[in-house]
Amino acid sequence: MNSRSRRPSTYEVLREHGFDRRSFLKYCTVTAAAMGLDASMVPKVVEAMETKPRIPVIWLHGLECTCCSESFIRSSHPIAQDVVLNMISLDYDDTLQAAAGFQVEEIRKGLIQQARDGKGEYILAVEGNAPTADGGIYCTVGGDTFLNILLETAEHAKAVVAWGSCASNGCVQAARPNPTGAKPVHELIHGKPVINVPGCPPIAEVMTGVLTYILTFDRLPELDRQGRPKMYYGQRIHDKCYRRAFFDAGQFVEAWDDDGAREGWCLYKMGCRGPSTYNSCSTMKWNNGVSFPIGSGHGCIGCSENNFWDNGPFYERLSMVPLPGVESTPDQIGKTAAVVAGVGVAAHFTAFLARKAMAKGKEGESGSGEKE
Amino acid sequence: MASVVKPLDPADAAARPHRYFRRQYVWQWPIRIYHWVNAVCVTVLFSTGLYIASPILAPAGEPVQHFVMARFRQIHFVFAFLFLINFLWRIYWFWMGNNYARSGFPFFWRPQWWRDLFRQAFGYMRFHAGHIHLGHNALGGLAYTIFVIALGWAQIFTGLALYSESSPSGFWGGVVGWVIPLLGGSFQVRMWHHLFAWGFVFFAILHIYIILYDGLQYRNGLLTSMASGEKFFKDGDLEHDTWIS
Repeated sequence: MNSRSRRPSTYEVLREHGFDRRSFLKYCTVTAAAMGLDASMVPKVVEAMETKPRIPVIWLHGLECTCCSESFIRSSHPIAQDVVLNMISLDYDDTLQAAAGFQVEEIRKGLIQQARDGKGEYILAVEGNAPTADGGIYCTVGGDTFLNILLETAEHAKAVVAWGSCASNGCVQAARPNPTGAKPVHELIHGKPVINVPGCPPIAEVMTGVLTYILTFDRLPELDRQGRPKMYYGQRIHDKCYRRAFFDAGQFVEAWDDDGAREGWCLYKMGCRGPSTYNSCSTMKWNNGVSFPIGSGHGCIGCSENNFWDNGPFYERLSMVPLPGVESTPDQIGKTAAVVAGVGVAAHFTAFLARKAMAKGKEGESGSGEKE
Repeated sequence: MASVVKPLDPADAAARPHRYFRRQYVWQWPIRIYHWVNAVCVTVLFSTGLYIASPILAPAGEPVQHFVMARFRQIHFVFAFLFLINFLWRIYWFWMGNNYARSGFPFFWRPQWWRDLFRQAFGYMRFHAGHIHLGHNALGGLAYTIFVIALGWAQIFTGLALYSESSPSGFWGGVVGWVIPLLGGSFQVRMWHHLFAWGFVFFAILHIYIILYDGLQYRNGLLTSMASGEKFFKDGDLEHDTWIS
């Protein structure tokens, strides 16, 4: 309780920064809208921001490209600056922090110690995943393997947020043949709530929205079967795509420079993964609502779906059949099977007729017609 | 041998009954209805499915004037549900029908079933006219179990999982939504659904041929039995099917 009362709420921090109450209420309204909440929920957001202490966040970076962080700092609703400086207390982040070396490791260890002693709590945000092959030596931070750091930090975390496809489902480093044995966070951490926020990277507003939700309501948002928040991953890109009318009409781009492409027809035949991808791109869009891949004339590559690197060429409608030794599409296999069956049937019937003709010749000689 | 129809001689029939065909009602009407509904469903589902996977018609003009892809998908869904209901109907009749309705089950724990399986397979390969089965022979039953029942279930589960995708929190999402992560994501479910569909083509080619060949070789009225329900047999044939019941 002591540490809780010591930590100021978001409202207190904002007042310290010179915001008036009116600005604070506006801020809460925008935040509620960004989380997809009804206007009637705004008072709850206000109340939470006024009373709940800011929870410290430890943000770890494993095997990743930092595109999640890049996305995160470009959030416009709420702007990342507000999230980082005001709403959360981002106590540890390899990339964004000014401090370095032993000092920051001490901060992380101190937070873990506090949580272990029951004097505090923190949320663990993980960007990237951990290689598990050969003892995890393929990713080390501050002289220890990332695997160890992750497990150590996760043990006392209140909840774990897996940022991006790396942490949620492995992404490129876990693609076949996965030489470093990279594993997504939910396969390494058990007995803790893990919230997956996939995407390569996830949409900035989705990232801040998820954090805001957790901090505001002090619980995880409703998750789907794959551990993703339903509020952002509950619908397919396809079902909210502005090109959906062309899909239903049967008007498809056949080549990148054909008339259909100029008319903005559906990119389904160009391998667009919109019909199999759950994300908010077609509704929230990117870069403060400027555009998203399909809006810019390129199909979705399904970057927030499991194993999207292994799902065959990005410009094909169907993936190759993922069986060892089979380098074919389902259609190639199906047609081959049909031809084999046809040839087999033809061969059998030819042999049957030949046999019958021979038997008839013999019958003619012997004169006996009775067969068993 | 010229085919001359000899008048039935009752004395000869009594003395040598094995030379004469007799008639037996085998396939009850629910089975026959199931068969033809299934045949229509699979045909429609496969052809509309090919279009959905690779839409080749591209109508010109504004999208408001057309509804081609959506119509193909609608037909696919309607026949998919018909396929499902029909499938469940057949499973119900497996329990409620006569013994022949159950004869296709792979009785792999019975040695007689294995014997019949190999005898039938070698019989087809050596063009041997063995005894007539009134129900399914073991080889045919195995083929139906794999290509109609197992493949049917596979298509039902993957298909409903894909159908549920527009509303993952909805009813079908709750019933079969687990299929998607199990098969490694939505895109892989599509791939398997498409690959499995070819299994029906492979099966249909063999099935139609074997029906024609078997009917020709054994003279058992196999082809027409799916319309009339009746098959023909000779005396002594029935003694062989001990593995069924």
